[in-house]
Amino acid sequence: MPVHEADRVEAADGAVVRRVLGGDVEAYRILVERYRRQFGRYAVSLLGDADLAADAVQEAFIRAFDSLGSCREPDRFGAWFYRILTNQCHTVRTRSGARRDTVPVEDAGLTSRERADAGLEQGELAARLEAALDQLTPEQREAFVLKYVDERSYEEMAALLDVSADALKMRVHRAREALRAIMGAAR
Amino acid sequence: MILLVRILSGFAVAWLLAMVVSAPAPLLAQAAAVHTQLAARGLPADLTVAVESLAARAGAQGLPWEPLADKAIEGWAKHVPAARIVAAVRVFAGRMGEGRSAVRGAGVAEPDAALIRAAAEALGSGLAQPEIGAVVRAAPRLALAAPALTVAAALRAQGFSSEQAVAVVAESMRGGRTMTQLLDIPQAARAMQLQGMPPGEIGRRILRAPPHGTIMPGVPGMPPGGMLPGGMPPGGMPPPLPRQPIQPPIMLNPMP
Amino acid sequence: MTHDTGSDEMLEAAARAYARGLPELPAALDDRVMAVVRGRPVPAVPRPRHMPNVWRWLVEPKQVRPAFAVPLAAAAALALFFVARQTAPRAASAPAVAAALPADTIYVRFELAAPAARNVALAGSFNSWGEQSIVLARGVGGTWSVTVALPVGEHRYQFVVDGERWVSDPTAHAQVADGFGVTNSVIVVSPRGVVRS
Repeated sequence: MPVHEADRVEAADGAVVRRVLGGDVEAYRILVERYRRQFGRYAVSLLGDADLAADAVQEAFIRAFDSLGSCREPDRFGAWFYRILTNQCHTVRTRSGARRDTVPVEDAGLTSRERADAGLEQGELAARLEAALDQLTPEQREAFVLKYVDERSYEEMAALLDVSADALKMRVHRAREALRAIMGAAR
Repeated sequence: MILLVRILSGFAVAWLLAMVVSAPAPLLAQAAAVHTQLAARGLPADLTVAVESLAARAGAQGLPWEPLADKAIEGWAKHVPAARIVAAVRVFAGRMGEGRSAVRGAGVAEPDAALIRAAAEALGSGLAQPEIGAVVRAAPRLALAAPALTVAAALRAQGFSSEQAVAVVAESMRGGRTMTQLLDIPQAARAMQLQGMPPGEIGRRILRAPPHGTIMPGVPGMPPGGMLPGGMPPGGMPPPLPRQPIQPPIMLNPMP
Repeated sequence: MTHDTGSDEMLEAAARAYARGLPELPAALDDRVMAVVRGRPVPAVPRPRHMPNVWRWLVEPKQVRPAFAVPLAAAAALALFFVARQTAPRAASAPAVAAALPADTIYVRFELAAPAARNVALAGSFNSWGEQSIVLARGVGGTWSVTVALPVGEHRYQFVVDGERWVSDPTAHAQVADGFGVTNSVIVVSPRGVVRS
């Protein structure tokens, strides 16, 4: 059943959660579409594979639905779901084994996947970054991806992760330093 | 004969179109909204048109259309024949008009949709316009008027006479009861009914309850409905919940 | 601390290239999620295990089977014992939990004894009378139940048994005419919760 345009534009997370809990299961689609768009690429980044990411995102939405009654702050469904998704990605990652068996950064350019942007240098750079990201701590990687890949503001990130903007700035700073070291050393 | 029906239905459509075209923009948006809601629930076109026209008329009088759409959807879900649905919608629209008059007569110049709806439901439960006016006049704040009417209607539906229903609600409000305490009344009254208490006794107990306590005989305030579970997603440790004190079955000491 | 602007630029260029290469997930994912979710029961909320049963016993003493009377009396006595030892600060922590949820949403449990039914659903003003959107779960002894989050105020509803029989709720606060010749069950949800009798 199609989602009404009015629903798409106006319904805030809290209102939709309450509707679903009240029995309007179809309304859940509003949240699914909204957060698939918001976090899809983040999941791909965490897992390095679009199919694995789709599986993880799908599973996370189903888990979120099943435990929707436990969502303490329906107005912050996004942040709550983000944690479920992160947990699920972690589960999928460990389940599928170490995805990249510490591919040396220097060789990463040779094993890079196809990129939408076909420039060789760009592709190589992106591949090297991808490999380097793998060597960050989870918090640093998460902060760097949210900031530079999703291009979120620190305020948005703070709301999402329930961490202060200052602490996040520090994580991003450390992530950049680490990445510079890793990628610089590979030159 | 068929030609006549065709002409008549053509007139109906033309009339509706004329109404729609001549209606100001908000009413056009409203007509679209009604149509969308009804169509989404699978109501057939001719029923939808009939309900839309009733809704348009209500809208033109400044009455809310949502209750009419809801009624139509309810009837359709219950597999009620279309003609009966239209009749019920028409009746409700009429009650909204009468309800609004009653509320205006009690001094509320521009009742909002919720109040109009509550007044219409109250009329449906058997309360008359003067009684609706009495309840509204007894409300110390406008915000209490709609819940008070809802509670009075519920009491009426439980078998209390109109006089008793109005008296309990009006006196409760005059006695300083909060909205929460008003909304507690129907369930308390029902519990006491099942214990075999006569209506007069129930009314007295409801009015006798302490201002910030509960109205249940001999029991202090109930905890908020439902234990509130922690909000941790699966895979995370739920935070320890503060325990709610278990209420005693009899009053040990009066609550402050 | 000096920053190597060269490598800063490189980092940002790398991030942009990397971002460009990250695909969006397809919209078909939404369909797959909804297909699974439609088959699941409407998310339930863990129901409180303390108040309601003792409460119900209190208000309808005649309906308690003798077998239950003694254990419940014992439970009540135990509850008394606990409360007598409660200190005031405990009670103060409860509102903090209550504040976490929106104040106007209350979890309400609906039950119907229908041992012969194959399925039971709940249709009402809170779900636009959708015939199968709130489905009850069958419990011991053929009592079906579901817990639903409802806003404060009046709600009208009926149970739908086996997809065709519309049945009233005997534990509702009142029964009103629905305008179509049948009755609707009514509950009035107070911010303090719902007590059934």
